[in-house]
Amino acid sequence: MLEPGLRAVTAALKKPVPRPLVKGPNTRTMVVATVSACLAYLLVVFFWGRFMDPGLYAVNYADKFLAPGAGHPFGTDFMGRDMFFRSIRGLSTSLVIGVIAAAVSSVIGLALGILSAVVGKAFDKVVLWGVDLCMGLPHLVLLILISFMLGKGAYGVTVGIALTHWPELTRVVRAEVLQLRSSVYVQAAYKMGQGRLRVALRHIVPHVIPVYLVGVVLLFPHAIMHEASLTFLGFGLPAETPAIGVILSEAMKHIATGKWWLALFPGLMLVVTVVLFDLIGDGMKKLLNPHSGNL
Amino acid sequence: MLHSKDSRVRRLAHPSICMMIVIFLFALCASMLAACTGGGPAAGSSAPPAEGGSSAAAEGGTEGGIVIYVGTVLFDQSLDPVKGAMSWGYSCISSALLKVAPDSTYVGDMAESWEPSADALTYTYTLKEGLKFSDGSDLTAEDVVFTYETIRDNQAENGQVDLTRLASAEAVDDRTVRFSLSEPYSPFVDTTARIGIVPSDAYDADAFTEHPIGSGPWKVLQYDANQQIILAPNEYYYEGAPSIPQVTVVNLDENSALAAAKSGQLDVVMVDPNYVDEPVDGMHIQRLETMDIRMFGWPVQPEGEVMGQEGYEITFGNAVTSDLAVRKALAIGLDRQAIVDNAFNGVGKPAVSFTDNLVWAAPGDPADNRKEEAKALLEEAGWVDTDGDGIREKDGVDCAFNVYAAENARYLLAVAVAQDALELGVQINAISGTWDDVDRFYRTSAVVYGYGQYDPVVLKDLLYSDYYLTDAFSDAVGYDNPQVDALIDKAVSEPTQEGAVADWKQVQEVANADYPYLYLVNMEHCYFIKDGLDISLDTQIPHPHGHGVPIINNMKDWTLG
Repeated sequence: MLEPGLRAVTAALKKPVPRPLVKGPNTRTMVVATVSACLAYLLVVFFWGRFMDPGLYAVNYADKFLAPGAGHPFGTDFMGRDMFFRSIRGLSTSLVIGVIAAAVSSVIGLALGILSAVVGKAFDKVVLWGVDLCMGLPHLVLLILISFMLGKGAYGVTVGIALTHWPELTRVVRAEVLQLRSSVYVQAAYKMGQGRLRVALRHIVPHVIPVYLVGVVLLFPHAIMHEASLTFLGFGLPAETPAIGVILSEAMKHIATGKWWLALFPGLMLVVTVVLFDLIGDGMKKLLNPHSGNL
Repeated sequence: MLHSKDSRVRRLAHPSICMMIVIFLFALCASMLAACTGGGPAAGSSAPPAEGGSSAAAEGGTEGGIVIYVGTVLFDQSLDPVKGAMSWGYSCISSALLKVAPDSTYVGDMAESWEPSADALTYTYTLKEGLKFSDGSDLTAEDVVFTYETIRDNQAENGQVDLTRLASAEAVDDRTVRFSLSEPYSPFVDTTARIGIVPSDAYDADAFTEHPIGSGPWKVLQYDANQQIILAPNEYYYEGAPSIPQVTVVNLDENSALAAAKSGQLDVVMVDPNYVDEPVDGMHIQRLETMDIRMFGWPVQPEGEVMGQEGYEITFGNAVTSDLAVRKALAIGLDRQAIVDNAFNGVGKPAVSFTDNLVWAAPGDPADNRKEEAKALLEEAGWVDTDGDGIREKDGVDCAFNVYAAENARYLLAVAVAQDALELGVQINAISGTWDDVDRFYRTSAVVYGYGQYDPVVLKDLLYSDYYLTDAFSDAVGYDNPQVDALIDKAVSEPTQEGAVADWKQVQEVANADYPYLYLVNMEHCYFIKDGLDISLDTQIPHPHGHGVPIINNMKDWTLG
């Protein structure tokens, strides 16, 4: 029985390396370019929205219900607010919530995941029990509960989303650590008398990082979609905040009278953002995974 | 092993994200389709009346009855008059002693005549002859006594009418009831127009929630909670049974109601002001007059703190709205017509006081949009824009305040007001919140309120200083004027209704000079009515507050052409 790492190496060596048929940038360059482009777009949206002059999407009753055109690429709504700038501003709010949620969830997920695998059986049981508890409840219901309890608004949504996205990441990290712990070099470190914490920090964490980073990036779209859904259902951001959820729920009222642009463009912006995050996650996985990173 | 790591990460992210996107796109497409196909059959099939409503709609149509959507209020509360059902003046199942006539005065319904005593402590009502409940039993003075005493003894279950001053009710003979009050209370007459009579023998607190027995023109044939209520004519009704054989009241949301109307499934549809310009085949739009007012309540007290009854400090008052100059400037300077146009698509009328379709309302000065006069007033009071940001300041305080709106239409109104107030250099922050938020902030911020009722005792709720700091609907603004308090006491203890009306008018004349409330809009209720259905406009009463339901007030007079 070969040791797992060695077995992987031999398997990789046996596999013929595909050669690019056409000369040009290799996969790695392509992936780096794609990820950078996605990241650049998201950063632009984020900073543009964050530091936008609120006058750009202010109420202006003279321009009610303008269809998309030169002055207003996404049209205007029932208060004459420019839908393009409102969407950008709303997306940046979503991104902020996504960043906070990802940061908090990832710290919780990493800490619990590693501790659960390193500390011992009892702790592991408690953590797994917590994970099952959180994942057993429908996610949206849990979000609504937390957000409503905290009085809705930005605070309720952010806390709700930050506190409910850790279980999946915890599971992934824990499984990864369990697998690493049984590997020869870690066992060797233990045998040489190194402490649990030292082994965890020096030998286990560095190997978990790639999986962890990809997990964090892929957590963003979840957080953003959940923020939008929660707000759409009326348990999230209030009507005076420009947010995609608010825009979409307002649009529902006017879609019956044929104001299609109110829902279409902001909805597409949301979908594009989510897809881009997915692309970044996939790209990062290709780069960080030693098995595919150098093709 | 490394491969499995891959798929694990993918599993973490992919399927649910994809599902979300797919669901989202699907919803988007579906709604677009509904929007694009407009009045075609697709609209109907993609948005049928919720939960079985469509089959009922079809049945109702074939049997010669009608199917109506009048909002959701009927489904939100019990139908039992003892628990406060339809006590706003539009009951169609349980008739009261008095009813409101189209000119807003009271006429006898179950009662033939009524007479207060000279000391205003005893009221004697004489019933009409030959009255029957919908189960065929006789309606006598005993039933009236039973109804009033049951409500008084279970007052906690009925927040709509106040019978705490009723000392005793006595059946003098089969047709005469004598009410004795513990203290003079002139709004008692209004109260008797709001309490449907229930039969003393057949009353059952549980069953009456869904199947009340009353003496009104309609009786409940079928009650499906949150779905539909089917009404049939009451053949024992004293004016004769209504001509429409069956009315199905359905519970929908506004968008589905519009879609159902476009597909021809409904005969009466209450609609949002945004939809009034929508063409609907075979139906016409009807706007109906209401006495429903939207107004701001704003703190008239300067900022302060007081020890509340619960034992912790309560912060109250507002530095900006406590200045009479600011309140008056907004009241005379706002362009209410523009506000109605912007917030409600032009549906509604500007209002500067309670509406004159109420007998006790004192008219205000309708001239508004006096921007220059308002600006001069603000400047005189020391509110000047010194830092050039368009908002006035005084002693370092911005002329700005928050207004809470607990409902979408009220939020739209608040935004429109805020927009107009900017021209005066006053910044109003419209905040959409819940009633819980209103409860939390009404002492220090403005709130959008809605009032519309026949009972003038609302003026006491709005202005009586003893009520301050009790709740968000009792002198929420902190108005404290001994003269007004005295006038209210006088109005309440008047022996005759004429005297009380005169007093109530005086209450408003004195109080309105202090602008404790900012009256804004008199709502109009909008309905799509099927061509051929006559809703008897002549006998419609001005609608009280009720989110669309009040149109049923004269449903007994409706006819199908």
